[in-house]
This record gives sequence, structure tokens and C-alpha cells, in this order.
Amino acid sequence: MDILTLDPTKFIDLNATGVCFLFIVGFIGGLVSGFIGSGGAFVLTPGMMSLGVPGTVAVASNMCHKFPKALVGAIKRFRYGQVDVKLGLVMAASAAVGVQMGIRIQQVILEKWGQAGSDLYVSLSFVAVLVLVGGYVMRDALRCARSGGVETTAPLALRLQAIELPPMLTFRRSGIRISLWFTLPVGFATGMLAATIAVGGFIGVPGMIYVMGVPGLMASATELVIAFVMGLGGSINWAMHGMVDIRLVLIILGGSLLGVQLGAIGTTYVREHMIKMVMAVIMLIVAVSRGIALPRYLVQLGLMDVSPEVLGVLGKISFGSMCLALLTGAVIILGSMWKGRAAAREEAHGQA
Amino acid sequence: MATQTARKPWGKTIVFGILSAALYAGVFAFADTIAAHFAQGSYWAAGPIATVFLFSYVHGEFTGNLWSVLGVEATRKAARKPETATTSTATKPATVRPAARRATLNA
Repeated sequence: MDILTLDPTKFIDLNATGVCFLFIVGFIGGLVSGFIGSGGAFVLTPGMMSLGVPGTVAVASNMCHKFPKALVGAIKRFRYGQVDVKLGLVMAASAAVGVQMGIRIQQVILEKWGQAGSDLYVSLSFVAVLVLVGGYVMRDALRCARSGGVETTAPLALRLQAIELPPMLTFRRSGIRISLWFTLPVGFATGMLAATIAVGGFIGVPGMIYVMGVPGLMASATELVIAFVMGLGGSINWAMHGMVDIRLVLIILGGSLLGVQLGAIGTTYVREHMIKMVMAVIMLIVAVSRGIALPRYLVQLGLMDVSPEVLGVLGKISFGSMCLALLTGAVIILGSMWKGRAAAREEAHGQA
Repeated sequence: MATQTARKPWGKTIVFGILSAALYAGVFAFADTIAAHFAQGSYWAAGPIATVFLFSYVHGEFTGNLWSVLGVEATRKAARKPETATTSTATKPATVRPAARRATLNA
């Protein structure tokens, strides 16, 4: 291949519609990431693929925009005192092992059951994890909301913190002291999920909150450190294989850096349970979206009989509902910020 | 959204805005050539990584200052430590975290 021309099998021709779509999804994804620590990837990858970008290039380009976005978000939230760098690095180390395990499992499934089997595994993981974890987070968020936004430490975290199992780690920023052995499964599961559904934060943030006892605000901000470390490693790997389309990365980054800063600012306006609420709403809608996509893979594996027309409609509904998940999260964040702004103004007037 | 008046960073916003626009114009003027070179992999992997770091600094500074100029700023110090904290209290943690206190924060 002439290196001065693009390989058309890997790189698409960009048009105004595609650029606008990527910029807007980048902005909304950034807004959600800045607020809950993750999100956006589950729409961006299929979104890029719907524009004709090959799957591997879409995954690589998505990851390459994710780590600088996470870096900017982490720095912003560090300034607000919300990031526990030590915790982020400890979690990222065990997450890296989880990623390798996740990739290995994917490879085994791919060899045994082919692409449809792998897609079914990914979708089932999506549905199972998001329904279970998302449902639990939602229940807790509603309980917090009913009690006036007061956040309590989960009973499991309290029990684990009380167990003196060396080596004990103290995370001063988060205000917790816990055995290394209890941080490892959370980091490992985060990496596994990141390698499977590309959004490790959906288990990393709830894991830090409910297993380790990290405050929700701190967990969502620390997730950005994990995303940065894992994203940087993954991006270097993909870039060495020449799979990153820098044009797509920069367009998405243009929108997401605007969004991630706004999302980070938003965390200072809302009560803590709103972070859980946004995360739970997005997780549950995405679970429904992936559930709708399941028949396609079951048909490919010969386990179900559905006409191609119906599958086409289901595919569109599935993608539409993923976009809806992101959009709903963004609306809740902006609405909460708006309310928080009004409350801050009232407070300022009251003090004047 | 700021709750107190502070000097807005117009200068930084304009400087980083121009730099950001120049970087985007520079890359997209030769987008296909640059993308093709970076797609060679191996040592060329440094290209996209260095590029996104540069853009994240320049465009990140621009966007951060832009929100400040638009009056969208953080309003309170959101982080607080739960009462479960620290070495000495690890075995006798409190179960309720106080609501985060409000304070003005310009960042």
C-alpha cells in the first residue's frame, strides 16, 4: 500500500453528517464520563461501525479517544479533591490482569462457537451484569433519595474493612483502610468487563462503592484514573497494529473534552446519590438494549427462528435504545446541574 | 453557574482556542496522509499517542477556560471523607456519611 493514501478497507471517507454525529456523541459521552466515570463507549463503537468503520478500527479509535478524555476529567476532578490516585493505580494494576483474562475468554469462545457465539456471550454478559448491578445501584440510589441524599457505607464494605488481612492498604483520600486482597477482585472484574463490553466502570464504580466502601463521588472520579491507565495501554497496543484512525479520534475528542469538563463540574452541583441514579438508569436501559439484540445471535447460532426483517427492526431498536440511554443520562445530569445552580443562587441570596 | 464573580479567563480562552483551531486545521489539512502514516503501526504508534496528548492539553485547556468564560464553574468542594475513614477507625466505622458541605470553588 502507498503510505500516502488511506487503505479504504480500514478507513472510511468522512462526510459532514458523520463528523457531526461523532462530535455530538463524543460530547454526550464525555458529559456522562465526567459525571459517572465511564460511559459513551457502548454507543461510540457501534455508532462508528454504523458509519462503515470496521469493528477493530472502531474499538481502537474509541479507546484512543477515551484515555486523554479520562486524563482531562481526572485532572479536573482531582482539583475538586475527588480523585484517589493511589486507589486508581492499585485498581488499574489488577484491572490489567482482568483485561488479559477477559481477552483470553473471548478468544476461547470465538474459537469454539465463532463470531455469533462471541457476540452472544458479550450480550449476555451485558444483560446479566447490568441488570444485577444496575438494579442494585438503582435500589440504593432510590433509598438515598428517600433519606434526603444521605449516603451510607454498604454493610459488606464495613465488614471487609474490619478484617485485618495483610497487606492492609490505607487510601487517605477515600478515607478507607482495607486489605489488598479485597481490592483485587474488584479491579480484576473491572478489567474483565472492560475487555468484554468495553465499559469496565459499570462494575468498577459500584465495586468500589459497595465492596470497598469508597464514597460514590470519589469512586466515579477514581474510575477515570483506571480508564486512563487501561486506555493508554490498550491504545498503544492498537496503535502498534496500525488500527487507530486519528481523524475519528480527534473529532470525538473535540466533543468529549467539552463534555467531560462539564460533567466534572456537574458533580459539584448535585447530591451524591445522583451519580448512582444516572449510572443505574444508563445501565438498565443499556441492559434492555442488549436484551433486544439477543435474538440476532440466537438465530445465527441456530437456536431461534426469526425473519431477517424482524431482526433488522430489533437491531435498530437496540441501537436507538443505547443512544437513548446516553441521552437520558445527559438530560438527568444537565437537569440536576440546573437545579443545583438554582439552589446555589438561593443560598447565595440568603447569605447576602 | 458560578456563585461568585471572578475574573474570567478571556485571554487563556482566546489563546488556547486559536491554538486548538490551528492544530485541528493543521491535522485535517493533511488528514489522509497523517492517518495513513500512523496506520503503519510499529514505531508509528507514537504518532497517534503523542497527538492525542497534545490535543488533550491544548483543547482541554481551551474547553476548561471556555466553560469558565461562559459562567459554568464548580460550586462546591464535593469530596469529603466518610466517617469510616483512617487507620484507627477502621474497626469501628460509622454507617452514615454526612452530606457534603457547600463551599465555593473556582477551578
